[in-house]
Order: sequence, then C-alpha cells, then structure tokens
Amino acid sequence: MAGLPSGPAVPVEPIALDFGAAAAPETLFQQLVRHWLNERHAPDILPIQAEVLSALLDHIRRQTDTVQALRGDPDSSEAEHARIMLVQTEVERVKFVVRSYIRTRLYKIEKFARHIVATPEVQERLSQAELDHARRFAQLTESHFKVSVLQALPPHQQRLDDNTPFTPPMISEPDKSRAVFVHARDECPPVRLPDGTTMQMQKGQIVLTPYAVVEQLLAMGNVELV
Amino acid sequence: MASADSRQFGDLATQLVQESRRSTLTDTLLKYNDSLVRTVIREQRNLEELINNAIAAQADNAAFTGDAPALLLYQTAVLRNKRCLLAYHAHRLDRLKDMYWVLGAALPALLADGDLRARLSPHEVDFLREYNASVMDFRGDFSAELDVAASVTHPPRDLHALVRVVRDCGVIQTELGTIDFRKGQRFMVRRADIEHLIVQGYLEEV
Repeated sequence: MAGLPSGPAVPVEPIALDFGAAAAPETLFQQLVRHWLNERHAPDILPIQAEVLSALLDHIRRQTDTVQALRGDPDSSEAEHARIMLVQTEVERVKFVVRSYIRTRLYKIEKFARHIVATPEVQERLSQAELDHARRFAQLTESHFKVSVLQALPPHQQRLDDNTPFTPPMISEPDKSRAVFVHARDECPPVRLPDGTTMQMQKGQIVLTPYAVVEQLLAMGNVELV
Repeated sequence: MASADSRQFGDLATQLVQESRRSTLTDTLLKYNDSLVRTVIREQRNLEELINNAIAAQADNAAFTGDAPALLLYQTAVLRNKRCLLAYHAHRLDRLKDMYWVLGAALPALLADGDLRARLSPHEVDFLREYNASVMDFRGDFSAELDVAASVTHPPRDLHALVRVVRDCGVIQTELGTIDFRKGQRFMVRRADIEHLIVQGYLEEV
C-alpha cells in the first residue's frame, strides 16, 4: 500500500496493489493522515470521513485476504514472501492510524456526549455507530450520577442542567477559543480575527490562532492543523 | 448546624475534591469514599431544611427580610456541594475508563483484579459492565478489518515479536495456527495476534 510520507528514496519497486500510483492527488492514506492530525488537534469533533475510512477499511480487508492466500500457496517464491512482509507491515501501520483516528473521535465523543445528545448540528458529524455510542454513554453517565448521588438529594437538587452564574455549565462543550497551529494548504480567503482585524493566509504559511477563527477554512480543506 | 464545631459549609465537599486531586497526582484510584459521600449528602439535606425554614419565616411575616443573605449563603453551599459530589464521581469514571482502555478494553481482566474491585462502589462496577457492552457494540462495526481497542500508544515497528510466557493463557488462535502458551516458553509470533496478551500481562516481550 503506497502512501506513507516517502522518506529518503528507498529503492523498492512500488508494491503491487497500490492506489493507482498518481503522484499529484493525495492518496487515500494521505487524506486519512491529514484528517487524523486535524482530529487530534481540533478541540471540537470534526465531520467523520466516512468515505475515506470505508475505502481504506475495504482495502485493508482485501490486502489481508490476498496476503493470506499468498502465504498459504506453496508455490510463492522467496521474493514474494519478502514482499508479503512489506505489505503486512504497511497494513499494520495503516491500521494503527485508522485505529488512532477512531479512538481520538471516541474520546471526544464521550467527553462531550451530553452536549452531542442535545445538539442536532453536532450529531450530523458523527457516524451512526458513534452517535449510538454517544447516546448510550450520555445515558449511562446520567444514570450513574443519579443512583450514586442525585436520588439521595432533595427533589429540586436533582437536575443535571443547573445554570448558575460563575460556575462552569454542567454540560461540557468544546472550547473553540483554544489555540491551534494552522498550516495553509492553499491560498486562503480572508478570515476575521476576534479583535476585528482580518487575516489572509498565504499558501504554506503557519499561524497560531484560536480554533474558532479557522473553523470554516478547516471544513473547506484550505488549511490543516499541525 | 455549623455552630457546634468550626466547620464551614462545603468543607466536606472540598475533601472529596481533594481526594480526586490526590488520585490524579499519584495516578491511583483511591477507595470509593462512601461515608464521606453520604455525609455530604446529609449536609445537603440539612441545608435544604434551613432554606425551607428561612423561606417559611419570610412567608409568615412579609415585612421581615432579615434572612435573605442567609438564603443566598445556603443556596451557594447547596450548589457547590452538588457540583463537588458530581465532580468526584465523574473523575472516578474517567479514571476507570482509562484503566479499561489501557487493558485493551478487556473488562474481565480489569474486574479480576480483586484489589481494584475492593476500591469500587457497586454502581461503578455496573457502570463498567454497561460501558463495556456499549464499546463492544461499537467495536463490532470494525471487527472484519481491525480491532479498535488495540493499543494506540506506539505505532507498530516490527511485524513479529519474541515473547516469553509469564502466565499460562491456554490455546490462542494466531496467523500460524493455534499455539498453546505455557509458562516459561518463548515464541516468535505476529505482534497483532498477541498484543492484547502482552497488555493483560500474560506475555512479556523479550
């Protein structure tokens, strides 16, 4: 599977089974790596990359099946076995990124589960399985609080959505004012900074800014978080 | 009630939060402090009574407003105690979830630890069981391709690993067929096949 950021040129023939070795457009795996890094750096939950993910999962499955078949074949040559090793190693590394991507999302989903349940707009960014888990998790924590604490309190102290001045809200939301490092992938349209001035990023520029400022640019794919 | 000793409202709740903080700093899960939780809840009920009395006193005499500052004080204490109670429980859930994932989402391995079990409240065990069920559901969606519960701390370097068996773990399916791991033996196996056994302490990398 081609697609890892190529380090120093290694004189290895491109392994069969790669994504049509086009140089210019991003490969699936490069796309996933970009979204994975974005997800890891963004305070908010980003839209799930369902297409990239399912294409890669398909690929992993086919690759694994092919490897199994070749390994079992007594006629496989020595060179083929060496290539199988490479492919397997590559598959393991792709799996790692996929797994980390999914787990990063899962972490945020659990952290903001009650916010997600209350906000349809965020729900659209989740896959069905993620949304189901968010609902179950929110329900689970609420019932744990209920049986451990709330049901022993007087009735009007039992709510989980108190809104008291000077205390943090009871439903945690992503902090969009958190600073992120942003790398411009293209020429970007101007964005407005919190102090009212505008900023226009050139291609290749890296800036440190509150997440809210670049939220739109990130959604359009003009920038990536680094 | 606070007159008998020098305690203020909220002192006990502060102790709860301090326990959470100690737990984070020492990276351990302390024993569930049932008695302290109950005491804080009792304080909440007392405060509720004080509030009701104050309101009743005011209703009896429309001109009397002397208790308004006291009401504010009680109400603040009530809200603060409640948040401390919830924070204490939420913090414990977070820690439990961390421990669960470190073991590769293996609930039986987590609950088999009697030492840990003794530090949990019964509700926390229930929580873990239901949480595990939800995670298993989610994990099932990817089961054809990969195990989302496997480690995400270190990217894989080698395909294979040389391991030593520390505890008998019976017959395991691997890429090379089934292997019966017995204590003291060494194997060269595919990492992905046995990573969960390393995490759970059955195997050790040599």
